[in-house]
Amino acid sequence: MRRAKLLARLALRNVRRQTRRSILTASAMVLGVAVLVFSRALGDGAHEDWIDQGVRLGKGHIAIQHPRFQQSRHLDDRLTPRALALAERALAEPDIAARVTAVAPRLEIQGLANSATGAIPVFVTGVDPEIEAGFSKLGDRVVEGRYLEDGDRLHAFVGQRLAERLDLELDSRLVLTGQDATGEIAGQFVRVVGIFRTGLPEADEGIVHIPLRTAQEWLQVGGAVTTLAVLVASGWDMPAVLDDLDAALAEDASEVAALGWREAMPELDAAIRIDDYGDYLFHLILFVIVGLAIVNTVLMSVLYRTREFGVLRALGLTKGETAGVVFGEGVLLTLVSGLLGMVVGFAFTWVFFRNGLDYSGLLDSEFTISGILLEPVIVPIFRMVQVFQSLGSIVVIGVLASLYPAYRATRIDVAEAMKFEA
Amino acid sequence: MSEQRVVAVRTDRVWKVFEHDGIAVDAVRDVSLEIQRGEFVVLAGPSGSGKTTLLNLLGGLTAPTRGAVWIDGQELTAMKERQRARLRLERVGFVFQAYNLLPVLTALENAEFSLLLRGVPAEERKRKVQELFQRIGIGGLEDRRPSKLSGGQQQRVAVARAVVGEPALVLADEPTANLDSASSIALLDVMTTLNEDLGTTFVFATHDQRLMERARRLIRLVDGAVESDTRRPSTKGA
Ligand SMILES: Nc1ncnc2c1ncn2[C@@H]1O[C@H](COP(=O)(O)OP(=O)(O)OP(=O)(O)O)[C@@H](O)[C@H]1O
Ligand SMILES: [Mg+2]
Repeated sequence: MRRAKLLARLALRNVRRQTRRSILTASAMVLGVAVLVFSRALGDGAHEDWIDQGVRLGKGHIAIQHPRFQQSRHLDDRLTPRALALAERALAEPDIAARVTAVAPRLEIQGLANSATGAIPVFVTGVDPEIEAGFSKLGDRVVEGRYLEDGDRLHAFVGQRLAERLDLELDSRLVLTGQDATGEIAGQFVRVVGIFRTGLPEADEGIVHIPLRTAQEWLQVGGAVTTLAVLVASGWDMPAVLDDLDAALAEDASEVAALGWREAMPELDAAIRIDDYGDYLFHLILFVIVGLAIVNTVLMSVLYRTREFGVLRALGLTKGETAGVVFGEGVLLTLVSGLLGMVVGFAFTWVFFRNGLDYSGLLDSEFTISGILLEPVIVPIFRMVQVFQSLGSIVVIGVLASLYPAYRATRIDVAEAMKFEA
Repeated sequence: MSEQRVVAVRTDRVWKVFEHDGIAVDAVRDVSLEIQRGEFVVLAGPSGSGKTTLLNLLGGLTAPTRGAVWIDGQELTAMKERQRARLRLERVGFVFQAYNLLPVLTALENAEFSLLLRGVPAEERKRKVQELFQRIGIGGLEDRRPSKLSGGQQQRVAVARAVVGEPALVLADEPTANLDSASSIALLDVMTTLNEDLGTTFVFATHDQRLMERARRLIRLVDGAVESDTRRPSTKGA
């Protein structure tokens, strides 16, 4: 114990003695860790944003559907009344309900939008206007008119490109056609009540929202829906909620299933994973560079002080203990500067970017990821995980970068080290 | 000073052979020595005669190629590195030619180093070191870093560090070589006094004529072998 304290004191004083070199290395570490923390916070923020926007425009964090619907997109694979009742019961379970923020019932079919000008294939979604307004937030992207409201009947909310291509204006009439529950092609008159623009061609041309009741009557499905889109309070809860829903729906697994967004939107999942790998690679490179800087400092200090280590050995320290001094110096240097880097990183991110990093200046066009138009602003997210990740990285770097110099210190030949050279 | 003969260090036919580009150099050849507690021994000899190598063998810093070394009756070559380190800590003090203080520690911290490693309480360490500092004329310099001490003062701190734990022997390799003559004489006085008053065993390697004159036992080395080993009565006072 006393020895350990003495060794620690030596290590500490040695770090302080080589102030200039220590500061240089420490700065590399501070900068490295600060960049790590910053990029983690922004990366997590960006991903959360992608997910949030993706799931809102898509099918929520979790889609409750007939197990075949994801593939078939066919009205035959709608939720049966029994399945719907089961799903609603599951969602009402207090434990699940507490973590769910919104459930949007939808009736989704593929059909055609026809006007005097022509016909364009579209994805028609029958929605509950009130719920949907807070869910998909398409209403926030209105360029003309308004989003659907309760009480709307023969109204449609269409994308800007569709409106242009079909020569539609507010109040224009169009006819939606699609296969109804009986297998017949059925048509439905609607009037444009609002036009939106997401910036994403597929959405702006291919999405039409109409009131759920209208869709149900048109397609003759009674009160049925194809999908219950579920938003959970925190994206991080999603896997747990998904498991619970799965369990609750198990009794009718052939009729109804819960699908996480990663499966429902594989492209978004892939985009996030790729971005994550990119980040990890970046961090790895960053850490290798910082690690090398530390190895260099600590190693230099070993080579340059062989005499001192010779003295320590002559005085009765073992090889292991002299290595301990070196190891202690390296770890101390990384730990202190790493912690400082964390503080700097979090503080910097908080002070300058807490309200978001606006990178619109960097882009000359709109930014979409797997079909989702993203705001050119990333709001960083701070999580305990980031703290642990950073701490973990610091410890790993410190240990790895100090091992080799410590090993070198054990290789010092005392007799050789004590040779006098003027 | 004890009159009974206690062997501080003993060697039995030690050899140290270095390989130099395939050529073997016998740095120390077939040396058998016995040094008693309380002796004041000087190893003399031309450059390259093996003085440093022999000192390193005596202190367990170098393993002999052949032969055996005993410190305080314990055979070194049979020991593990840890045990040898322990033995050095408890039984051997070293003074080197120069630069052998730890720059980040104060004079007092340097001097008490081995006491601290041995677990001596702080009070006692401080008392012992201060007493010794007074005795060897560096009282009051306890809190200085080595860089703020003269060469002679540094060597005295090194001597204090070597003797403070009352080791079986103190090995000093050309301790005066880097000092001006006044400092050399002062350091020699210090060591002579410690030898006579406290019975500290000293073994020096040196070219320094003044040091040889003080020796009560002079061992001359030539080409790694003992050429002569002469004792003479104490020449008290410089
Ligand atoms: N580590 C080593 N490797 C190879 N040869 C060595 C080594 N150390 C010493 N020698 C050789 O051993 C012989 C004795 O060297 P040593 O340093 O013991 O002599 P010395 O008497 O202390 O000399 P000096 O008075 O110059 O200090 C010399 O020939 C030297 O070159
Ligand atoms: Mg020598």
